[in-house]
Amino acid sequence: MKTNNKKAWLYLLPTIIFVSLFSIFPILRALGMSFQSGPLINLQWTGVSNYQYIFTDPEFWRALKNTLLYAVIAVPSALVISIFLAWSIFSKIRHQSFFETMFFMPYVTSTIAIGIVFRYIFNGDYGMLNFLLRLIHFPAPNWLDDPSMNMTTLILFGIWTSLAFNIVILMGALRNIDPNYYTLADMYGASGNEKFWRITMPQLVPTIAFLLTMNIIGAFKIYTEVYALFNGQAGIGNSATTAVYYIYNKFQMVGTPGVAMAATVVLFLIILVVTFLQRKMMKRIGR
Amino acid sequence: MNEEKFIEVDNLQKVYEDNGYQAIKSVSFNVKKGDLVCLLGPSGCGKTTILNMVAGLLKPTSGDIRFDGKSIINTEPKDRNIGYVFQNYALYPHMTVLQNVMFPLTVGEHKKNKREAQEIAERYMKLTDIMRFSDQRPVRLSGGQQQRVAIARALVQEPKILLMDEPLSNLDARLRLQIREEIRALVKKVGITTLFVTHDQEEALSIGDKIILFNNGIVQQDDIGQRFYLEPNNQFVANFIGNPVIDNFEVTVEGGTVKGSDFAFDQNLLSEDRFKSPLEDGQYMLSVRPENILPVDEEDGQLTETIDDVELIGRECILKFTHDGHQARSLIGLGDRELHHGDVIHLKMALDRVFIFKPNGERVY
Repeated sequence: MKTNNKKAWLYLLPTIIFVSLFSIFPILRALGMSFQSGPLINLQWTGVSNYQYIFTDPEFWRALKNTLLYAVIAVPSALVISIFLAWSIFSKIRHQSFFETMFFMPYVTSTIAIGIVFRYIFNGDYGMLNFLLRLIHFPAPNWLDDPSMNMTTLILFGIWTSLAFNIVILMGALRNIDPNYYTLADMYGASGNEKFWRITMPQLVPTIAFLLTMNIIGAFKIYTEVYALFNGQAGIGNSATTAVYYIYNKFQMVGTPGVAMAATVVLFLIILVVTFLQRKMMKRIGR
Repeated sequence: MNEEKFIEVDNLQKVYEDNGYQAIKSVSFNVKKGDLVCLLGPSGCGKTTILNMVAGLLKPTSGDIRFDGKSIINTEPKDRNIGYVFQNYALYPHMTVLQNVMFPLTVGEHKKNKREAQEIAERYMKLTDIMRFSDQRPVRLSGGQQQRVAIARALVQEPKILLMDEPLSNLDARLRLQIREEIRALVKKVGITTLFVTHDQEEALSIGDKIILFNNGIVQQDDIGQRFYLEPNNQFVANFIGNPVIDNFEVTVEGGTVKGSDFAFDQNLLSEDRFKSPLEDGQYMLSVRPENILPVDEEDGQLTETIDDVELIGRECILKFTHDGHQARSLIGLGDRELHHGDVIHLKMALDRVFIFKPNGERVY
């Protein structure tokens, strides 16, 4: 028994080393740094002053508010649209694989590149979106240069970028549903709506739970989308700043790693709690 | 109403458009009201294709299907008044047994209110003895229990016809014997006309009021069970039905003598009244059920063979031997004689029970 245990530890050693070095140590280091101040090469223990700083910093609250807003609006919207599109492709469209590939393309393209294209689309003066809006006599807001529009723009962009992954995963889940379920439902005279709500949706619950968890975690970590869309800024006057953007800014730009790490720890706790609650909720729905 | 022709399948044909494969060449048969009819055949013979055309899941290329005298070719599956049980049952895994059975009653234009639906569902669940699983999910049930849920669900809309596609093939051997009896008892109790697809001849023989045997997209024989065994229409039926399989010997008929590779007998030994058509000179296949070719004393024997193998099957045993390059079998009672691998035996055929087929499969005797 004893020798077996020793051997097991030996086999686990490589993994333990790498996980400790690259996952556990950074987490602990970040936690430690959140109680320290000063430049990276000369950190001093200063207790909870970093936490005091961020909780009184309106910028931090704005970053949290924006992140939460993004998570609450973009994630469910993207999921609903993804389910609708995946179901449409799956149930109504020929040449499924062609459309599936098309929808998957954004996922394999760099967010920065897409962001640049979207800057053209969203451009207030000559952008394609406003061109179309003017055609149908809709107001054409200044998506990129109006601070009050920046979060909306970010959310629209976020929804679009998360569709690809969601659709591909949902298509896989839809294909896994026994086609006989639908054949029988047809024989019982079930309508399209009844089939969708009583067979498809319940069958998709585990997949939706998975996507929701992934998307929400992703939403709390949103950074690249902001950077790409607003040309390296967090919108006009930091109006679209997010939690990770705040962290990056405090770490690299302002040079206060302690403050950045305090914000990191807070974000980590928020994600932990949200994920935990969400798992509990999905389990209840699954039952 | 014509009770004899409750379901009429008339000159049905199915050609798959995408590859031009002619799955069903021309099939006609009738099913009597209240009968349990087995559609039997080897895989790929078209039996499930026919079932699916009756159900409306496939559209025939030509021909007609009538229920109770009315053509239903252009009727939607949901309006055909049928219940369907899939091979894998297709129970909805996210619903309880009760919800599964209630499902057909709670969807579509004719849906019932919840209380009424539950009442009807529970009536059928009592009938199939699954009330105690009411609140369980199907995955928790055994194969046989799931089967009964599937049948209860197929019956709740009170269809006139029940269609079952290999409903027993997912069960283990012992359970299969039990469930097939249950199915027969159940459909007889409900009085529903049932089409039952199977590839298992024993299953078909044991539960079918009538069997329709298919091969190559046509009906080979449409008859009651025992006639398949005693009076096969053609060579295919003789080969398909029976376990152990029938022995076939190539023979030549010449001048009143039937000659095999190392046996011969006078044509007059065959019983006159069993001939379907005159036995002209030529090539034939002589087919003998293994229980009709038995070891006898040397002076009575028609064939002399060496035993390759002895296989025990319960209270009988099969003596296997090679004749003219083909394996053949003799079925004897256990303990009739002590025989072993390598023993030389003399065999005699019961000529009043053999069959003779032309090379094209047509039966002559």
